[in-house]
Amino acid sequence: MSIYRVVPVSGVISTDDIIPARYKHMYTDPDELAPHVFEHRFPGLAAQFETGDAVVGDSTFGIGSSREQAVSALLGCGVRLVVAPSFGRIFYRNCWNLGLPAIELETASLVTAGQLDVSLQTGTVVVGDEVVRFASPAPLMIDMVGAGGLLAMVLRDRGAPAGTDGRMQA
Amino acid sequence: MAPRPTPLVNRIVAERAGRATVDVGELLFVDVDRVYVQDGNSPTIARLYRQHGLSTVFDPERVAFVFDHTVLVPNREMADRIGEAERFARELGVQVFGRGAGISHLVALEEGWYVPGNVVLGSDSHTCVGGALQSLALGMGATDIAAAMVTGRTWLKVPDTVWLHVSGTPHASVRPKDVLLEVLRRFGMDAFLYRSVQWTGPWVESLSEDSAASVASMGVEMGAKCVFLPPRPGSPEGLVPTAAGPGDRVLELDVSTLSPMVSLPHSPHGSVPVDELGGRPVDYVFVGTCTNGRLEDIAEIAGLVEGHRVAPSVHFVVTPGSRQTYLDAISAGYVATLVEAGAIVTPPGCGACVGTQGSVPASGSTVLTTMNRNFKGRMGNPDAGIHLSSPLVAATAALLGRFPTREDLPG
Repeated sequence: MSIYRVVPVSGVISTDDIIPARYKHMYTDPDELAPHVFEHRFPGLAAQFETGDAVVGDSTFGIGSSREQAVSALLGCGVRLVVAPSFGRIFYRNCWNLGLPAIELETASLVTAGQLDVSLQTGTVVVGDEVVRFASPAPLMIDMVGAGGLLAMVLRDRGAPAGTDGRMQA
Repeated sequence: MAPRPTPLVNRIVAERAGRATVDVGELLFVDVDRVYVQDGNSPTIARLYRQHGLSTVFDPERVAFVFDHTVLVPNREMADRIGEAERFARELGVQVFGRGAGISHLVALEEGWYVPGNVVLGSDSHTCVGGALQSLALGMGATDIAAAMVTGRTWLKVPDTVWLHVSGTPHASVRPKDVLLEVLRRFGMDAFLYRSVQWTGPWVESLSEDSAASVASMGVEMGAKCVFLPPRPGSPEGLVPTAAGPGDRVLELDVSTLSPMVSLPHSPHGSVPVDELGGRPVDYVFVGTCTNGRLEDIAEIAGLVEGHRVAPSVHFVVTPGSRQTYLDAISAGYVATLVEAGAIVTPPGCGACVGTQGSVPASGSTVLTTMNRNFKGRMGNPDAGIHLSSPLVAATAALLGRFPTREDLPG
């Protein structure tokens, strides 16, 4: 189990909201992107993040642009978990690809909590006295996070004999 | 009971995974046919390659870099990132389509990268344009694209399929963009999220190539993983189940009573019939993008403004989607017509869509544009209100200086 501080955000969130486009064309370093997170949508929020935070949304999170910088910028802010009722599909992939777990879950009871205790392996979130269950992610995705992201996983498997699942071989 | 036809996405994924069949929800690795990259992500991909000690691609003939988001580069930081990406592309020996070639998805159409039944990955969410030609065309982020560039493979989950059947003949002033805005208004994202969407019915079957690409481009606004339009007459043979089977999830939309639509700031999902805004002033009109930057769109607005003047209060910017579109529009006289009427016609590319080049709207201004999304700050200023519409509605507003009513539109 890992404990996260909850940072609630409300409404449908686009990747434009998370990081405005011009910054992704100016910077590739997450530390340079981080101060601009949510700059248009929630001015001032970027400065409030601490390492180990969970962003908890109440609607579809991460719609629109494919910009992976939305994830790297959140990581740069210290965000280590994203929880929302649903996700934009590219953002969802990008999260796991960069080793940031994204959990799909009804969050009504979570947004007001101070902190969450989460286990990916067992698919549980402990909020105060309550235990909320979610579909635990596929082994591949947990493997990806454990390896430090998709590219690290692919390189780790480099040269390994092709498995029955025909994984990506670098 | 007749057997259910196998959805197109299942057939393509099975083929590229080396399997006879696949099930919805399965997580698989598949071969990819082509990968293309745009300049909002190529500097990050260069950084990822450097960080992970990578230097090769699976096939330089099947990887392309397109420079479309910052064509006339507005500042030093962006220029430096573009320079890094250009050097990186040259070192890899991949195909390069430099600034001015056009939007990656239009280049993809012109270069024939979307082949029916192929898996095409693009580092831009509107890669779904490829669904117009029955490609499984997926927008992805930098790490996904980098991994596919190295391995020639990607990972994916087989999506469920939803069928969207359009019936009825639309009014003379209703364009494909209006149908899309109505689909987003009526069904929201939940109906399509993570799913494959197969469009069916006589309306979608009758679309021109430009209109089909426009419809496909907004698959990402629907929340879909991928979309497929039926093959058009004369198009390459697609892998086509043309109708849903018993038990399939089918949504119905009758477009015969549809009005031209305009979306309200700051979401493509909240549109209203044009009459609800008719008469309100418009400050800035932008026609272009991967949704409405094709020759058909420019032909329509040129025909509309011919012999008229853009309202003095309106900043009217037109950006052809590709170099070929630009040249065709010059040859046909459309560019001259637009410029004579008072429009600014810019070099090809993504134009003002994403706030990474001109023209950024002023604070408090009202923008009407043919873009596909109008999130807060999308064009570079969170204090502007961006509305989406068809090129017909947008160009009419440019002449009138206000949102049109239905009476201002043809038919």
